[in-house]
Amino acid sequence: MSETKGGVAGVQEQTRSVRELICISGLKVIFSSRSGPVRAVDSVDLAIREGERIGLIGESGSGKTVTGMAILGLLPVNAVIIGKIRYGDYDLLTAPDRTLQQIRGNEIAMISQNSGSSLNPVMKIGDQVAEPLVIHRICSVPDAHREAIRILAELGFDDPEQAATRYPHEFSGGMRERILIAIALVCRPHLIVADEPTAGLDAQVRARILKLITSQISGNRTLFLITHDLGAASYLCDRIAVMYAGEIVECGPAKDVLSLPLHPYTQGLIASLPSAGLHPIPGMSPSPASLPRGCRFCERCPAVLDRCDCDHPELVFTESGRQVRCFHYD
Amino acid sequence: MISGKYLLQRLCYSGASFIVCLTITFFLLHLMPGDYISNYLLSLSNTLPKEIVDQFREQFGLNLPLTQQYVLYLGNILHGQWGYSYAYGQPVLSMIFGKLCWSLVLLVPATILGILIGTVIGAWSGWKSGGKKDFAVFNVMIVIRAIPEFWWAIMAVMIFAFYLQWFPLGGYASISVLSTGLDFFDVLHHALLPIILMTFFIATGNYYVMRNSMIAVIGEDYITTARAKGLDERTILWRHALKNALLPMVTITTFQCAGIIMGNIFIETVFSWPGIGYLTTQALTNRDLPLLEGIFLLDSLITIGAMLVADILSSAIDPRIRMGTDE
Amino acid sequence: MSRKIILRVSIAILGIFIAIALAAPLLAPAGPYAITGKPLQAPDADHLFGTNEVGQDIFAQLVYGARITLLFGFCSALLAVVISTSVGIIIGYYGGIVDEIVCRAIDVVMPIPMFVLLIVLTTFFSPGVLQVSLLMGLLGSVHGIRIMRSQVLSVARTSFVEGAKAIGASDFHVMFRHILPNVMPLVMVKFVTTSQHMLVMGVGLSFIGMWDTSTVDWGTMIQNAYSGGGVALGLWWWILPPGIAVVGISLALALIGYSFEEKFNPRVGVNRI
Repeated sequence: MSETKGGVAGVQEQTRSVRELICISGLKVIFSSRSGPVRAVDSVDLAIREGERIGLIGESGSGKTVTGMAILGLLPVNAVIIGKIRYGDYDLLTAPDRTLQQIRGNEIAMISQNSGSSLNPVMKIGDQVAEPLVIHRICSVPDAHREAIRILAELGFDDPEQAATRYPHEFSGGMRERILIAIALVCRPHLIVADEPTAGLDAQVRARILKLITSQISGNRTLFLITHDLGAASYLCDRIAVMYAGEIVECGPAKDVLSLPLHPYTQGLIASLPSAGLHPIPGMSPSPASLPRGCRFCERCPAVLDRCDCDHPELVFTESGRQVRCFHYD
Repeated sequence: MISGKYLLQRLCYSGASFIVCLTITFFLLHLMPGDYISNYLLSLSNTLPKEIVDQFREQFGLNLPLTQQYVLYLGNILHGQWGYSYAYGQPVLSMIFGKLCWSLVLLVPATILGILIGTVIGAWSGWKSGGKKDFAVFNVMIVIRAIPEFWWAIMAVMIFAFYLQWFPLGGYASISVLSTGLDFFDVLHHALLPIILMTFFIATGNYYVMRNSMIAVIGEDYITTARAKGLDERTILWRHALKNALLPMVTITTFQCAGIIMGNIFIETVFSWPGIGYLTTQALTNRDLPLLEGIFLLDSLITIGAMLVADILSSAIDPRIRMGTDE
Repeated sequence: MSRKIILRVSIAILGIFIAIALAAPLLAPAGPYAITGKPLQAPDADHLFGTNEVGQDIFAQLVYGARITLLFGFCSALLAVVISTSVGIIIGYYGGIVDEIVCRAIDVVMPIPMFVLLIVLTTFFSPGVLQVSLLMGLLGSVHGIRIMRSQVLSVARTSFVEGAKAIGASDFHVMFRHILPNVMPLVMVKFVTTSQHMLVMGVGLSFIGMWDTSTVDWGTMIQNAYSGGGVALGLWWWILPPGIAVVGISLALALIGYSFEEKFNPRVGVNRI
């Protein structure tokens, strides 16, 4: 195992500048349902820079998980996908399955939510952690097992050798989340897509898992965190994108977005935090099957303008270099 | 892999089940109006003198108190004394074993082939569910399944045995065995058509279970995890999905296998195959109750045995059962 | 879509069979037992499907037989579904000790081979078709109780049931006004598939001589023709009509069942996630 890795896409780790690792442009994901087409993700443009830790936040159904799955090429076959996700020389949306399989797990890995059901119940932990190494032919099977045990130890398992011979149901939720992190990290990927890694964990365990992720994502390893947990995002990320009803409504450095939110939705989100006095945003997100013509937030917006109802705002750069989708900043 | 304690627990459970079966049969048959010796004698002739009936009742212990009868009955069954057939006068147990062997000639190959074929096609079809090929296979299976077994058998006899004359019309061997003795190829020639039909049937039954089970498995999160690791679809299907999909299969399939002994009744009847099914129809026509009771007990034993096997098999596959934790 | 066409055709076939069964006295005024022609006559204008070995009209037997076969299938399925639904709802709703007792009892009864038990019981009683169908419904309900119970459990834990309880609705009201409508789709599916099983089983049972052979139903017709040498003699009109009728109705019911199942339970048959 060498620290630097050329990879399929030929991404060089030496270039530590603000190189774009992944560039999502014009991503639209449409599912067909009984009540018509559902636009789960609508015109998302987002660049993930190498070595950064970016958070995509939004409520459930806002399309953040779908965006993450699109990067991994794991969307259901019935989804209509438009746009480009450039990764090195490849477009991840059109790359052949074989290429995607070589990239997944090896260069782009996923930490999934639902630690309870994301591990195969009839396979030993050691085999599950070692599997990515074996299938990507990084090392031999015994070496892969040694590496799996090493990484389990690194992730806080007291007796990793014994843990490797046990089955998922014998572990607690927090431990299973660690196993999932181990699976994601074992091939030393460039990018880790973490989908709600703290969902369903109690406060203590959540704090430990967050610490663990920060300690593991260092150097030029990139993290793409998908969450509705603002606390986790502010702790882990240096950049935050806010998603609402399938669109990115605001994007900027984490500090700035959280301390001085621009978009009314982000302001609402932060005001709804317990620390800010628990003021929920009135109303509900529009159904992705029947989106309004104008601004998607206009029905719930406290600062609504006349044109919000019929015109759709674009994502624009502000003077400070942040991005926001709101007519107030035109 | 399997703990002795677990095995012992299952064995005790199976034993208890069998005793419950025995008890239910006993009380069903003895608490009914009239007892079956008297009923049988009366059915032979209405004018039987009372003394003879009483004599019989005494001989069969029917004048004893019910609890004592029950203990005797239980003891007899456990000692392999399953009574005598009315119609043939032979011990029920030996008759049943003689016929069971012939049933197994059909059942063993058909069950093995059927389960293999059904599982493989079902797994594949479930994995491809929603696609055109799956849709086609699924519909063909519905049609095969909806047509009654005995009708398939009759049609097969009509086409392959009567019109095409590829196979004999029925029976287990040619007339010539009377002089030459049983010949393997002759029996095979007779058994082939029923075996094919039964394989067909067992396979379709398994197909459904496997397909549904597979569809449930593909929706699971660990399949997404496997994809995210970069596994190719084939490896995911065989290494991750199949073993999980087999879990519910094991129980249902073994259960089905137990039912097959009786399901076989139609095919054996159509092909005049001298197995348990045929024996059952004969017993039914003769209203030969001790024989039917024996068949019932045999079937209970087989079902209970099958459940035991299912438990052991699923505990061998599923660590959650093995460790005794429920999730 | 093609699924829809299949469903419509199946319902039409089922309707035709039910109509034929109801209109039997009009279609065959002489009745199924009347000897109206020479034995084993091939089909002609008088005898649409020919005659059997004693000269009874096969068409008349077929339409009267439909009554018994359909009655058997639907009666036993209805009983099985009613029992399993009500017991399932009650034990699923109350839970606790009632649930525990019924579940253990089912565990014990499950390994008893119902089919042979049925044969033993009918041999002892020699009952009529209706009694056998009720017995089959009773025995057939055991399996369904578990399925209904797990369905009820998933509904009984939902907020609207809790809500109904919170506003003081009686147990009976909650069970039959809130839970029942929610499990109704499954009940419908179960009814159709059980009817198909029971119908085929009934024909099968009479084929192996389970009940009085003097009652004309499709099973006894096939049995007569088969044991009488209908196949070996190539007398196709003797054996084909009842067989095709069974296949037709069984297929129709099976296809309706699967269409329902797909409609109510989208996980079976469609999408790949």
